[in-house]
Amino acid sequence: MLRMSWSTFRDRWQVFVGAIISVCLGVALVQSSLLTLVSAATAKVPPGLPPEQERAIRDGYVGAISLLGMTLGLAVFVAIFVVSSTFAFTVAQRRRDLALLRMTGAARGQIRTLLVGEALLLGVLGSAFGALLGLPVMRLQGAMLDRFGFVPAGFTGQWREWILGVSAGVGIGVAVLGVLAASRRAGKVRPLEALRDVGGAGRVMTASRWVFGVIFLAGSIAMLSVVAAVGGEAALPLSICASFTLVTAFAAFAPLIVPLVALPFGLVFRGRLGVLAHANLRTGVRRSASTAAPIMVLVAFVVGMAGTTGTITEAGRQEISRDLRADLVLTTDRPVRDQVAALPGVEAVSEEGQVSFDIGEDDGEDGLEFEGTTGLAIDPAGYTATHRMVATAGNLADLRGATVAISPSESGGWRIGDMMPVHMDGGPQQLRVVALLPETVSGPYILLPADLMRAGPRQYVIQAADPTAVATGLAGLGQVMTTTQWVDAYTDDQQQMSTNIMIALLGMAMVYTLIAMVNAVVIAASDRRAEFAAARVTGLTRGQVVGAALAESMGVVAIGVLLGILAAAGTLAGMAAAVRDMIGVSVASVPWALGSAVVAVAVVVVATASVLTTLSATRTPAIRLVAAKE
Amino acid sequence: METQATHRPLDAPGTTPSAVELHGVTRVYGARTATVRALDNVNIGFPTGSWTAVMGPSGSGKSTLLHCAAGLERVTDGRVLVAGQDITDATDAELTKLRRRVLGFVFQSFNLIGSLTAEQNVAMPLRLAGQRPPRKVVREVLASVGLADRARHRPAELSGGQQQRVAIARAMVTRPAVLFADEPTGALDTKSARTVLRMLRGMVETSGQTIVMVTHDPAAAAAADQVVFLGDGRVVDRLERPTTRAVADRLARWEE
Repeated sequence: MLRMSWSTFRDRWQVFVGAIISVCLGVALVQSSLLTLVSAATAKVPPGLPPEQERAIRDGYVGAISLLGMTLGLAVFVAIFVVSSTFAFTVAQRRRDLALLRMTGAARGQIRTLLVGEALLLGVLGSAFGALLGLPVMRLQGAMLDRFGFVPAGFTGQWREWILGVSAGVGIGVAVLGVLAASRRAGKVRPLEALRDVGGAGRVMTASRWVFGVIFLAGSIAMLSVVAAVGGEAALPLSICASFTLVTAFAAFAPLIVPLVALPFGLVFRGRLGVLAHANLRTGVRRSASTAAPIMVLVAFVVGMAGTTGTITEAGRQEISRDLRADLVLTTDRPVRDQVAALPGVEAVSEEGQVSFDIGEDDGEDGLEFEGTTGLAIDPAGYTATHRMVATAGNLADLRGATVAISPSESGGWRIGDMMPVHMDGGPQQLRVVALLPETVSGPYILLPADLMRAGPRQYVIQAADPTAVATGLAGLGQVMTTTQWVDAYTDDQQQMSTNIMIALLGMAMVYTLIAMVNAVVIAASDRRAEFAAARVTGLTRGQVVGAALAESMGVVAIGVLLGILAAAGTLAGMAAAVRDMIGVSVASVPWALGSAVVAVAVVVVATASVLTTLSATRTPAIRLVAAKE
Repeated sequence: METQATHRPLDAPGTTPSAVELHGVTRVYGARTATVRALDNVNIGFPTGSWTAVMGPSGSGKSTLLHCAAGLERVTDGRVLVAGQDITDATDAELTKLRRRVLGFVFQSFNLIGSLTAEQNVAMPLRLAGQRPPRKVVREVLASVGLADRARHRPAELSGGQQQRVAIARAMVTRPAVLFADEPTGALDTKSARTVLRMLRGMVETSGQTIVMVTHDPAAAAAADQVVFLGDGRVVDRLERPTTRAVADRLARWEE
């Protein structure tokens, strides 16, 4: 059987090279993310640093770990998705071969053994290449994290011996898992199918597709309603999770959705070529679905995530604009409160300084677990004069001495009067909760009394009778901005941060899905030489065949984009509901520019791949291909 | 795995004079309003050790008859016996075993596995049955169809006639009780077709091979021992020891 696998391998190399590439990239991506994650998790903070700096590095690693955790999850999802869809496609491509084996006496189990054997072979090869490729990918990922400042300077991913085992396990496991479902179906191929050219037009919508599709769709709906209900910190990971499940559900339902979505293309595709392209789009359901799948993933994730972070940023901007009752914001590197207050024309000033500290939470058995956070130290009178801030419980005026005010958006469960255990350099061991802040997306999450303020950078929020005059007076103290300028700068900052996070999270996966698109196009074309040849002997020129294939592939891109947008829209709707629930602001930011860019890239990649493969598949004179039966 | 795939199952003499028997077989396609009765209460036996050709106009049910007789398709009603075994309700596993040792198939499109050499294609049924066929046996079978020197060629490197001979060798390597052939000469030129027919004739003469063959071609049918004519899913006529002219005359009559 293994020799049989090898011969098939030699013969259908485009298909199998495609499968190997998908495994290889998946393994590289997962291995790199895992190694970087493990390195960040085990990184030691160099000894002998001042406490403030040590804390900053430690917090940097904590942030990097959660980012890398999400990257790893994404990498695993995309790898499983792409590999299983590629493998299912390769099995579908060979339906007739398999029926033929059944005719010559192969039992169902033997067909499955054959396919799983192949998957093992491909998994081993893919994992080996992937483990090698993982090294430069890890360096690239490390450089990217470093550049965006997501890791403390000097951080690099470390190689671990055991990763080889994990990578092999991932590669082989994903390949075999990907082929298991397909091989089950392939085992049911009837020998008679060898005689009838059913192609991909056979029943594609199977019972298991229904089951999976319904489960994942129900799961997505459940998750999105939970997003709207819980809101807060959990909303982002939950809505990203929902885009995973929505994409999976759409992929399962693809055989139903693709012809449905293809229907309107009949209006666009006119003329002889258009009719041919449209017919191919609808009858080659499996082919169309396989190419559309990575496009859908790409669009869903990019648009969904950019939309989600964009929505949060925009909501934050509106929240800040709504809550700020001031004219100027002054940023300095040292305390200058008295100078500011002494300036003529200053009606109210709020001095604000950031304080990093750890909050201890009871984790049940071994006492307290401390987690790093940042609070804003303020003086209550000045703060309430310049911000529209009403505590939902308790009183901000009580913020004196060892006390704290906290928003439920930070971490739940605190009540007025609770003693909050903290680690604060040179500060108290406990803070008494004196007020609860409303939910927020832009902060502040934690307010501390002015007594806990440190030396160092400050921010002054100022009400002035004549802002221009006051601004001139402040110019010597630090950087002065009008409130509008300051909000814009804050928003730009947030947006830049979100974009960086997204590139760090999705960058590699995006490249992966692009390659998966090319893969699907090449695999699909490998099976169509005879079909193209038949079209040419029917009277089409080579250019027309290429044109029809191009039109068809553009239809497939459109389908993928539509489904991706649909999945992203679900995510976005959930997020918008959560934001409205939290702060009463109705926003949904649609990333038009980024979305269009992604679509443009997908169009160019698929169009180029389609034209090149069709040209290559029509290089042999048609008549020779039509004449040769096998 | 089975080890006796090369043994031909012996029919108890007298009890089943026919290698394949169809009793009241009906096959209906489609559902509810749009049903097609491809076979309508067909009773027929294909005698052991002889060659039967099945003819009829397009849509007369020839291919359905072959598929039902070979267990490739379920019958709607009636019973099918192959080599004395009732296969009407056989499970997939039973049918698979049957395909390995009792039934052989040859088709119009040669259905060889493109990635394997002629030799590997021929050895495939035995391999699937869990055997490691000696190269000598495979070479002998290939030699018997006149392709000893083409063992290492892939299908794409062989002519149509040669490919069909490889397909016949593949079907014969398990020494099946019945060889089913669906338009075996349909895709061949006259000369190659004649070679293939002569080869089949030789198998019937020398080793008493049972052959059931569907064909359009009166010349191919004339190579058989008897011809059965089908029309609208029923057996409408028979002809013993046919000649090309006699077959053509009957066909002309039935197609009027």
